[in-house]
Amino acid sequence: MASIRELRSRIKSVGSIRQITRAMEMVATTKLRRFQERAVASRPYSQEISGMVTRLASMLGDDVGDRPLFKKGAGERTLILLVTSDRGLCGAYNSNVFKVLETWLLEHPGKPVDTFVYGRKGYQYLTRRGRQVERFLVEPPLEQTDYRAAARAARELTNAFLSGKYSEVVVLYTAFESVVRYVPKVVPFLPIEAAAVQAGGAKAGDPKASGPGASGDVLLEPDAGTLFDRLVPRYLETRIYNALLESLTSEYASRRVSMKNATDAAKTMQNALKRVYNRKRQENITKELLDIVGGSEALR
Amino acid sequence: MAGSLTLRVITPERIAFDQTVEAVRLPGADGQLGILPRHANMIAALDVGLMRYRAGGKEAALFVSGGFCEVRDSTVRVVTEAGERPAEIDEERAREAERRARERLSQGRAQTGEPLDILRAEAALRRALMRLRAREFRSE
Repeated sequence: MASIRELRSRIKSVGSIRQITRAMEMVATTKLRRFQERAVASRPYSQEISGMVTRLASMLGDDVGDRPLFKKGAGERTLILLVTSDRGLCGAYNSNVFKVLETWLLEHPGKPVDTFVYGRKGYQYLTRRGRQVERFLVEPPLEQTDYRAAARAARELTNAFLSGKYSEVVVLYTAFESVVRYVPKVVPFLPIEAAAVQAGGAKAGDPKASGPGASGDVLLEPDAGTLFDRLVPRYLETRIYNALLESLTSEYASRRVSMKNATDAAKTMQNALKRVYNRKRQENITKELLDIVGGSEALR
Repeated sequence: MAGSLTLRVITPERIAFDQTVEAVRLPGADGQLGILPRHANMIAALDVGLMRYRAGGKEAALFVSGGFCEVRDSTVRVVTEAGERPAEIDEERAREAERRARERLSQGRAQTGEPLDILRAEAALRRALMRLRAREFRSE
């Protein structure tokens, strides 16, 4: 059994770990809220963009399917954008992403894959397994991601797709469903499915705009095709921006939970140690008392 | 009333402007677009420039960095990456951007740099100049 002094120092160190994890939990809570707010703030923009894309797509009709971004790429490789975190201590956040990656790879055997990676954890995971990382997106750091950074990534993916090396581009990110539910998933990015774009508006928004007849009397400046071709890249940007914000929100939600668990576990451990310590102290006192009593008895 | 017009400027970070106005003038990709109440539905591409509007009889301006505009249900939605009120514009930063862009342009031309880089520098220069022009509206 540990000595009293050892116990005391262990209680102290568990206590300071608890303070640290508590602080980290609070930081994660604030950041979680901040990213959640940003995700909410970005929604009107994405909705307007995809609304316009949908309205123009329904005007263009079958023409949409002929555009390069809507057709399967000429190459045979697949490009994956993997979104992970820069730092650890966030529970199973990253390993869940890797699990989904491995499953996806198993389901698509024999398909040559290139990866673009967000987050140091993802980079480490792949390079440690001797896999190639085509591009590691580090600038700016994930945490300071803004729309412009997301737009740059979207542009890079689009250019890669148009280079003819790939047949498709997919994004693996963590969808944020609620504070306790975040699910990593693989979503197709390019080519864009014409049907999805054309139907998107009916789900997303006001029936007035996508209703019959609405498309006929809209002035277009310049023409529908040109507008559409300018809008689509913006639409892709919003999708990447969204994926990044959702992943970041999930990361902090996950980190908050794991730090809370760590804090609680430290508390339990501290209590258990304190109990042992007190019992031990009591024992010592009793022993000393017995000695004193024994001593005075002998003197009598 | 002859109908009113709601002007909303939507960026990825926030809704930069949401107010009832009497008239809007936008930097369309193919020239200025004037929008009054009861305007027909429209979708238009925008250029980098100044968006001017009249509210309560007073003219004011806002910087927009391109994007799109949609008129629907007597609401003008300006969907752009950056929409800034004159007071929000950082003059130092705009001047710095202007200086950098000019530098890159003179360098790029001298050594016949990538055409793409020159285009990018030109775009940056236009953004900086427009921001500075929007800034002048603050005093009005």
